[in-house]
Amino acid sequence: MTPVLVVAVTVTAALLALAGIASTLAGRRIGLLHLWGAALLEVLLLVQAVLAVVLLVRGDRPADTPTFLGYLAGIVLLPVAGTLWARSEPTRWAGTVLAVAAGTVGVMAWRLQQLWEATGG
Amino acid sequence: MAEATGDRPAGEQPAAAGGAGRVLVAVYGVFALAAGARAAVQLSTRFAEAPVAYLLSALAAAVYLVATVALARGGRRTALVAITVELVGVLVVGTLSLLDPAAFPDETVWSAYGRGYAFIPLVLPVAGLLWLRRHHQRTLRP
Repeated sequence: MTPVLVVAVTVTAALLALAGIASTLAGRRIGLLHLWGAALLEVLLLVQAVLAVVLLVRGDRPADTPTFLGYLAGIVLLPVAGTLWARSEPTRWAGTVLAVAAGTVGVMAWRLQQLWEATGG
Repeated sequence: MAEATGDRPAGEQPAAAGGAGRVLVAVYGVFALAAGARAAVQLSTRFAEAPVAYLLSALAAAVYLVATVALARGGRRTALVAITVELVGVLVVGTLSLLDPAAFPDETVWSAYGRGYAFIPLVLPVAGLLWLRRHHQRTLRP
């Protein structure tokens, strides 16, 4: 869990959310840009998940480990779920659905970082 | 919207099947998941610490889940009831948590009108009710 990674996730998620809202405003469905953005976000999240698991195995434990694991597992599913849903949505609102998923990832990344910093014994 | 999906006859399409309604379902889904996961963790790991707050978390999660499914599948009346319960819940719990913080030693989704969740729990039921109202008016004049 490094702040650098959390910032990278936040920036990517924010850009993806903006791209999603932009496509809704433009009255278009999502395009390749959104798919690449979601893919990049997913890769960053998977790196973060692997890193966190390695640290957990090494013995670093956040105070609230069950919640931390819940967030860790949930956050990697969001870009996938958001993308699948947005791809099946034939209207301009597909971008906003993706933006909701991306925004949630951004918030959850910071919550994960908070949970990690509250390290227990 | 209905024409674009093409797989359902007009008039039978779920309440929030397409278009802007999808966004509403998406946000409700996120909250059903967030509140549900939070309640599960709270109830399973430290129920004795704050039973009232944690049972409220579970109630909130159930309400979000019902609202999500009802919106997605077109159960207009169910959605209306769930969203109304949600609005009352966030207002009552929000007020009580500010008046009597001791009764709420741990946060719920609805504490302080959903401050921990950027006040989305307060905005969401209003958006949901407005959406249902607009949709209802539209179906009256097909």
